[in-house]
Amino acid sequence: MSDATWIIATGALAGISCALVGTFLVLRRLSMLGDAISHSVLAGLVSGFLLTGSRSLPIMFIGAIAVGILTAFITNLLHERGKLQQDASIGITFTWLFALGVILISAFAGQVDLDQDCVLFGEIAFTPLDTVMFGNTDIGPRAFWTLLLVLSVNLLTIGAGYRQLKVCSFDPTLARSLGVKVTFWHYVLMTLVSLTTVAAFEAVGSILVVALLVVPANAAFLLTHRLGNMLAIASLIAVIASFSGYHLAVHFDASISAGMALSAGLLLALSLFVPRGLRS
Amino acid sequence: MRSQLFVTILSIFLPLFSAAAEPPRVVATTSIVADLVRNVGGDLVQLTSLMGPGIDPHLYRATPSDLEALRSADLILYSGLHLEGKMQDIFDKLSRSKNVAAVTSNLPREQLRTPPEFEGNFDPHVWFDVQLWSQCAAVVRDKLSELLPSAHSTFQQRHDEYVSRLIKLHQDIKQRIQTIPAARRLLITAHDAFGYFGRAYGLEVVGLQGISTATEYGLRDVSRVVDIIVSSKVPAIFVESSVSRKFVTAIQEGVAARGHSVVVGGELYSDALGAEGSGADNYIGTIEHNVRVIVEALS
Repeated sequence: MSDATWIIATGALAGISCALVGTFLVLRRLSMLGDAISHSVLAGLVSGFLLTGSRSLPIMFIGAIAVGILTAFITNLLHERGKLQQDASIGITFTWLFALGVILISAFAGQVDLDQDCVLFGEIAFTPLDTVMFGNTDIGPRAFWTLLLVLSVNLLTIGAGYRQLKVCSFDPTLARSLGVKVTFWHYVLMTLVSLTTVAAFEAVGSILVVALLVVPANAAFLLTHRLGNMLAIASLIAVIASFSGYHLAVHFDASISAGMALSAGLLLALSLFVPRGLRS
Repeated sequence: MRSQLFVTILSIFLPLFSAAAEPPRVVATTSIVADLVRNVGGDLVQLTSLMGPGIDPHLYRATPSDLEALRSADLILYSGLHLEGKMQDIFDKLSRSKNVAAVTSNLPREQLRTPPEFEGNFDPHVWFDVQLWSQCAAVVRDKLSELLPSAHSTFQQRHDEYVSRLIKLHQDIKQRIQTIPAARRLLITAHDAFGYFGRAYGLEVVGLQGISTATEYGLRDVSRVVDIIVSSKVPAIFVESSVSRKFVTAIQEGVAARGHSVVVGGELYSDALGAEGSGADNYIGTIEHNVRVIVEALS
């Protein structure tokens, strides 16, 4: 496959994964959780480095995912126990964790380059260069296979828990009365969010992931209020954004992630003009 | 029949000739590495620099043409020691099928700065010690000679000339820094890029931020720097072209509150060369600019 095909495919896989978890985030008014995680992971990167003395990818990855889940946990705690608004809870949590990361760097690792851009966030333009070998054959970009794995985990989990996730997202009180373990499913979803965002950050960079978590799902929300349709439409929008965004970036010889994020935004703008009659 | 044969033979050999006529493509990551390649390779190579002048490696965003440049490169030269951050993974992978080298790869590890508590996480800003950077030219010479063995003697000659210019520059900087009164040999900057410079030329370096441009400075850092300025009576501090100026105001206010004053000594270049036509668009010009600014402000 050509470089262009791999980049578009990688962007589409990141896009679908983000669109699926993004849809549940929109329904729970947690759209900006991805943006929050992009900042709070700093604390995880620094902790991973301080514990092991290494900046290698597996350690950065584990630290980042753990702090991603912690971000969701603290946000939920502030919202449920403290009765604070969701957006306020997110804002408090990620700034606090980011600040913790900054303090840890200043106190213990001031001489080591440890920011997210440097050790975690990837660059989608370069994904075709970082390939994996299966035996003696080059089977394509590592980012593609990582994201394919993440998408499979997302599809399997959402498939297995579809009924529970649906009722928890729309009506947690009803879910509790039906005997659904609301907290358990909340954290299943938050683990998926953390895994998806961190893996996608590593593969394609942060701005694109934040855009892909928020924009396709919200565009789909404009077009339908049925969960199944919303998941499908959000995924489709993410794929179109990846394809058109790549070509936009080539045309202007600009950043590919910016091209894809811009395309996603334009698609959202288009959905605003879809006549009500066509919405479901 | 004969003309057909001629065409066949020509079509076999023509690509060889055109390949020989086309200079090999070399990609450099930062503008500083590109300048080193330009000085050794000159017109014998076709050079592309991924990060233009004034681009902080932390803020670099790749474009489709950058991917194309890396794909079609015959040789990729990067700075190394983690300066390029996550791109290191890509260089490791590319080195399986391509000629890829870090220009700092031949530097003896004991000459590199490393924080005592995290051995092996080297400070990548080696180009601020001109003598150290001159050693990196050997990697460029060797890699270019592998690529174009026929031009080896040219590369060798250019390398030797350039290195002797750098050694002369190195001695010159030493002398010029010595003209600053000893008590004032203090370089206060925003981003901790000048550790090698201070070590090589006998200046004490005080940085507000950590080594990464993303780390923020702390209140204690500000008051510590204010203390140093007040007690040493150092007349100037410095900001860099790729780092924000906001911390300077905090320092100046702190110093003024204690009855002293400090000026901004001028802008120093750190992770990138200056813009074309600025006089600092090459490595030697950049270093000379920095030295001139420092000596003028501190003397």
